[in-house]
Amino acid sequence: MTMNNKIKSGKDVIDDFFAEIYNILTADKKTVDALVELHGQGKLSDKNVQNTLDTIVQKELKEIDKEDE
Amino acid sequence: MSKNKIKSINITGIRGVREELTLSPDKKSILIYGDNGTGKSSITDALEWFYNDSIEHLTGEEVGGKGKNALRNVFLNSSDEAKIEIKYSNSQLDNEKSITSLLKTFNSNSSKEFAEYFGQSQSENLILRYRDLVQFIIATKGDKLKHLQNIIGFSQVQELRSLLKLVGGRIARGIKAGGYSNKRSAQQAILLESLGQNITSSKQFFETVLKVIEPLKLGKEIKSFKDVKTALKSIETNEETKIVEQIAFHNKVADTLTSLETEISNIHNQYKDYYESYIALRKDADKINKLQLLALLSEGLKVLKKDIVKDNFCPLCQQEKDKLKLAQELNQRVDDLREIKAEQDKLNEECEELTKALRNNYTIVSSLLKEKHLSEKENEETKKKIEKIQNSIKEIGEDLKKDVFSSEPLKEFSNIKIDDKEIKEVIDIAKAKSKTLSDSIKGNLKLQIHTKLSRALDAYLAHKKLEREEEILTKQQVTFEALYSDFIKRQEEALQGFLTMFSDEINSYYVEMNPNEKVEDIKLVPIKDKNDELSGITIEYTFYSERQTPPVALLSESHINCLGLAFFLASVKAFNKENEFFVLDDVISSFDSTHRTRFIRLLVNKFNDYQIILLTHEKDFFDIVSSEAKRKNWLITSLSWTAEKGTSFETPLVDLRTKIEGKFKAKNIDGLGNDIRRYAERQLKQIAFNVEASVPFRYNDRNEERMMNELLSSVQGKVNKQSPTDLKTKNNIDSIMASPILIGNKTSHDNTFKENINDLEVFWEDVKKLILTFYCSEDKCKSFVAMKNFDNVNNKIRCNCGTMSYEWKK
Repeated sequence: MTMNNKIKSGKDVIDDFFAEIYNILTADKKTVDALVELHGQGKLSDKNVQNTLDTIVQKELKEIDKEDE
Repeated sequence: MSKNKIKSINITGIRGVREELTLSPDKKSILIYGDNGTGKSSITDALEWFYNDSIEHLTGEEVGGKGKNALRNVFLNSSDEAKIEIKYSNSQLDNEKSITSLLKTFNSNSSKEFAEYFGQSQSENLILRYRDLVQFIIATKGDKLKHLQNIIGFSQVQELRSLLKLVGGRIARGIKAGGYSNKRSAQQAILLESLGQNITSSKQFFETVLKVIEPLKLGKEIKSFKDVKTALKSIETNEETKIVEQIAFHNKVADTLTSLETEISNIHNQYKDYYESYIALRKDADKINKLQLLALLSEGLKVLKKDIVKDNFCPLCQQEKDKLKLAQELNQRVDDLREIKAEQDKLNEECEELTKALRNNYTIVSSLLKEKHLSEKENEETKKKIEKIQNSIKEIGEDLKKDVFSSEPLKEFSNIKIDDKEIKEVIDIAKAKSKTLSDSIKGNLKLQIHTKLSRALDAYLAHKKLEREEEILTKQQVTFEALYSDFIKRQEEALQGFLTMFSDEINSYYVEMNPNEKVEDIKLVPIKDKNDELSGITIEYTFYSERQTPPVALLSESHINCLGLAFFLASVKAFNKENEFFVLDDVISSFDSTHRTRFIRLLVNKFNDYQIILLTHEKDFFDIVSSEAKRKNWLITSLSWTAEKGTSFETPLVDLRTKIEGKFKAKNIDGLGNDIRRYAERQLKQIAFNVEASVPFRYNDRNEERMMNELLSSVQGKVNKQSPTDLKTKNNIDSIMASPILIGNKTSHDNTFKENINDLEVFWEDVKKLILTFYCSEDKCKSFVAMKNFDNVNNKIRCNCGTMSYEWKK
């Protein structure tokens, strides 16, 4: 039986998604970069994603602070 | 590399197995017969523990330790190890797993290869018991989805999907709860007050600042925030420091509470929505009662799934009830309740958001209360009012702790609302004081401009930051929505592809076991909830040309079991990557003989590449399988149980003969008489079968238990009648029946007869002689004389090769 080979495993679905994630036009590059990095490190958890997103916001706001000085 | 098969299994001290039990299939399939209580399931239990570290049907409060508390044989000493050793076709994976009396477990194989094999094997379909047969078929739609997603590794997909949705939703709620628009308006109000106009860009801000400082003739350019700060620095003065501080303090009170005012308005709206949903759910007493039953029903379902109740009755009301139907009903009710539970979860989510907003504002007010000027007597009233606002926020937070089951409901909005008039009052007082103080320094232009400018700068920077923060969060929200939308498309396509192929497999196995029975085209179909979210899987099939679901509604127990088997077998083929063996423990109990035959043919024909360990307690099935399985080179054996040894395999005849002869050699008469009788009984059964000697009728499971006397009498009667001049005179049945060893089974009963080695030797010689009278030991033949070889011409009964023959009446 070849069924085993034809089935797209969960890993295949996730790998394909990340391989083509930059083709999603409306996605923000910085956010996607962060997700790709977490996935690569095997750390794609709710807490880690939220922390990373918060960091992005804080970093951007710090940039504003610098501009304002 | 080829998949794994089992060479041998060695079990000691586990469940019913006391002494060492060795099964050496050497990669072949094996059929094991064992009456109830002989310990068949001990083999399955040991294997389940080996792979899963627990035994599902023993897991429960009473046994505990994931079934390990009941794993060790009860007669073991505390120093004895209970263990199972498995040797595989790939010897690098051989492992012995043991458990001490303190329930500590050890694996002998610590290699990385074994760890990987073991990890993978845990998710494979290796064991199917009767009680687990219908679990998937009667599971809820949601559980079916969860189960399948787990075995195809989609649990990670589901996790990522949930993560994308969760984070996207949280960002959206954060933007809404952040009240960015209101907050920006509040800052604009300050700008309007300080600079006399709204500010929409930095360029406009710099131009306005330039105009404001113009009267001071500073001669500075204002093109950046640095320029604004330098200008402010240059007009800074030590004069009237206290007044400046107080103006700043009152402005801060006014600004903070202005911002809070809009936040409170949001909180009020959120509270109103939450209160409405809360009361709606709470008012529906039926829903609330049902929700409280969810835990009970789920527990009841677990009890049924574990087969704790053996007969067809409801364990709660003790009324007679078909267990399968009961489980199905419970599944349906649990499914319905999960929808109500989803409502409750949504409500909890709203409550959580509201609590979070309250907490944020409570912190803002607490921080304001730390202002040193609030301790001054003249600000005593302001402080009290701010404290009152803080308490109101706290009170709502406390009230929100009441869930829908609380005896007291949430307070109505009118009773809990934060007094916004009071906030306005404090703002007005602060503004008035700030104005009075500002007026008092009206003559001091520098000071006045400095105060306005620094407030305007803070407000504009805060405005700018809020704008940017909202922009970044919105980008993140849009990103997560786009990723989620792309991802679900991928998941659903892959799942649909899998379900189509998997359904075809299940359908083919089911139809092979049930041809021409009007159940066709079985399909696993994904279903979505009202939010278009994948929420479950249902089983559809065509029954007399009509599409139907679910199976329990129309199919019999036997057919549902067939469906369960088909599902397991399809799973074995689809998902077992490491192992090419599986265990079926008493899985055909509800099948009639036609279905049993079809099932065994399906196994031997479609699963010929697999090593199957098939256990049964049903003699009929054993007989059916034996004839089919022998042709495919399966091993066949039987289990027995004694108090001394626990579960053991019946000794093969050749081993029993060697054992008897060994005892004679060692002059060891302990149990020798019994061994000879067992040997003789088994040979006599063959003789009786071949000469068609009839014995009194017994039911299937008792048919095997024929005593030697009974068999001897029967064979003698047949021989005397059919071969009075030949075989009657040549056999020695009379002398065996007269043997003191046989009369009354003297060596196994409590009587005064003392056997001796000479009596036993004579008895053994007689038994061997009798067997050789009926058995042709020629190498090419090795068969008993049998009616199937009856010579019609010469009226003789013969062995297969014809060397041995006796006269035999027609």
